[in-house]
Amino acid sequence: MKLRFFDIENWREIGATLARNKTRTFLTAFGIFWGTAMLGMLWGGANGFTGMMSRNFAGLSTNMGGIFPGARSISYKGFNKGTFWNLTEDDLKAVRANAPYIEYSSGVTNLSGTAAYNDKSAAGRVLGIEPDYASISMPVIEKGRFINEADYSSSAKVVVIGKSRAADLFGMEDPIGKYISLNSVYFRVIGVASQLSDASIGGRVDESFIVPGTTMRRALSSDRNVHFFVFTATPGHKPSDNFGSIRRTLAQLHSFHPADEQAMGTMDISEMFEMISKVFLSISLLAFFVGFGTLMAGVIGVGNIMWIIVKERTHEFGIRRAIGAKPADITGQVLSESVLLTLVSGTAGVCFATLVLYVADKVTYQPLLGYAGFQISFGMAVGIVFTFFILGSLAGTLPAIKAMRIKPIEALRDK
Amino acid sequence: MRLYKRMTNLQFTEMDTIISLRDVNKTYPGIVPLHVLKDINLEIQRGELVSIMGASGSGKSTLLNILGILDSYDSGDYVLDGVPIHNLSENRAAELRNHLIGFVFQSFNLINYKNALENVALPLFYQGVSRKTRNALAMEQLERLGLADRATHLPGELSGGQKQRVAIARALVTNPSLILADEPTGALDSHTSKEVMQIFRDLNAEGMTTVIVTHDPNVGAATNRIIRITDGQILPDNV
Repeated sequence: MKLRFFDIENWREIGATLARNKTRTFLTAFGIFWGTAMLGMLWGGANGFTGMMSRNFAGLSTNMGGIFPGARSISYKGFNKGTFWNLTEDDLKAVRANAPYIEYSSGVTNLSGTAAYNDKSAAGRVLGIEPDYASISMPVIEKGRFINEADYSSSAKVVVIGKSRAADLFGMEDPIGKYISLNSVYFRVIGVASQLSDASIGGRVDESFIVPGTTMRRALSSDRNVHFFVFTATPGHKPSDNFGSIRRTLAQLHSFHPADEQAMGTMDISEMFEMISKVFLSISLLAFFVGFGTLMAGVIGVGNIMWIIVKERTHEFGIRRAIGAKPADITGQVLSESVLLTLVSGTAGVCFATLVLYVADKVTYQPLLGYAGFQISFGMAVGIVFTFFILGSLAGTLPAIKAMRIKPIEALRDK
Repeated sequence: MRLYKRMTNLQFTEMDTIISLRDVNKTYPGIVPLHVLKDINLEIQRGELVSIMGASGSGKSTLLNILGILDSYDSGDYVLDGVPIHNLSENRAAELRNHLIGFVFQSFNLINYKNALENVALPLFYQGVSRKTRNALAMEQLERLGLADRATHLPGELSGGQKQRVAIARALVTNPSLILADEPTGALDSHTSKEVMQIFRDLNAEGMTTVIVTHDPNVGAATNRIIRITDGQILPDNV
């Protein structure tokens, strides 16, 4: 005795039944194939588009915020509406002392500059920063190193040059250790940096010259002003949690009204990320519903085909019942057919989706940013096939129960 | 396979009585209920070759369906090979049909996408017999009926007589207690009919109990006992 389910005769019969009406079987199988492929492609596609959008912000800390001075909109303590104030190096010490949720922070000063090396010159932004800037903007160090604490505290005349500017000035030559003239002041090149995405603070790293903020204010700038202050919030907090204390501190130091929104500009990248996350979620949900709808259409197709098969084979089921088939044998046979159809077509659909996603991922690959992530996880692929397997089985269940309930004598009369 | 023999109800029937019906009634419900079998009393002994004859609508097919556990009856008692047949579950009925009865139908009722060997082996599939064994047993039956060279042919590639022989082979493959044949020559020409009846006679000579429902007097004449049924009632035996 052995289980009839595993008897090769059972599967030969299923194959023979499905092969008898090739067009119908193909169309049904295609419905399932397309359902699973669509769900897989939409889900993986949503992942890919999410990845592509995320790549635009690659290299920026997601809980980054910043403040910058603006014009007073309220006349206050003798300062008229419309007057400006300047953020200074000393202000940052007070801000750091009073803002409770700052993890990394850096003042950023931004000037236009021209660099020269031998007979070559290149124009670009000069960024005066603090060492923590690397934990906020996260530039990619191509060669050498980034500005460190010693450089900053000693106001060292060192520069990290952007990758594009390094190519302009040095070509194939290694810039590390060489001296460049930056706005007529000589700086030693300590590193070459680039950035992952287009998003940047104060200008693209690739096209900038990055120097210690202290050096910038001492050697290149005519004042001690800082153009903006960027920071990351401590874990569990948002950058905006610091805005109140920063505003109160600076309002007191620079005599603008604490309620004057325009006197101090703010930005909170985390809010932007939150909004983008919602967009990603919407895309994923849309992909899921469209894919699931397609999948359901395929499942209904399976159910439909099973009804037709049961109707067509009623007489045959009668013969089988007469010679000893139990109701469960007939049910099992009908279900086996729907399960086989579902499993084979569903697996093929997921494989097809994986192939399409693989091609999409290859096409959108960028050397620096990597793959966008047009893919579905193995668990998701198995989940899609399994879901279809369950739904396909359920779709086959009603016709199978109908087949089971047919009385042998009635089935034999059916021609 | 002979498990059912041990379940003989000695109070009700004797060992060599294979079919015993007492006061069996069957009514088809409807606006006007149709009382098709009226107090049927019938005993068929093991090894008999019996025909049930009657006009169309006389109730002979209903009787055969009840004998074959394909249909139920309303009242009375029916014992088949010692097994009381009443209020059986679908599974139990299927088991009994598979083990005790071999069916032969007028229209052969072969599965058209299975070849002769697979058709014959099918009842053994439902017993869970391995493929190798059931094919060997099926081939034995086909050889017995002179169809070994047609084993791989589909029903559509066989003549009417060959199809009916395949159907008989299928009926025999489980070594049943009896064969029930419903108009087995109804779709055959007279020459082939004679051949088929000769097969039934040969099987009977080997001890196989056979009950044939027919309206053909020639078929009836080829059996050892004719049971006539009219308006749902059995007339006295006419041997």
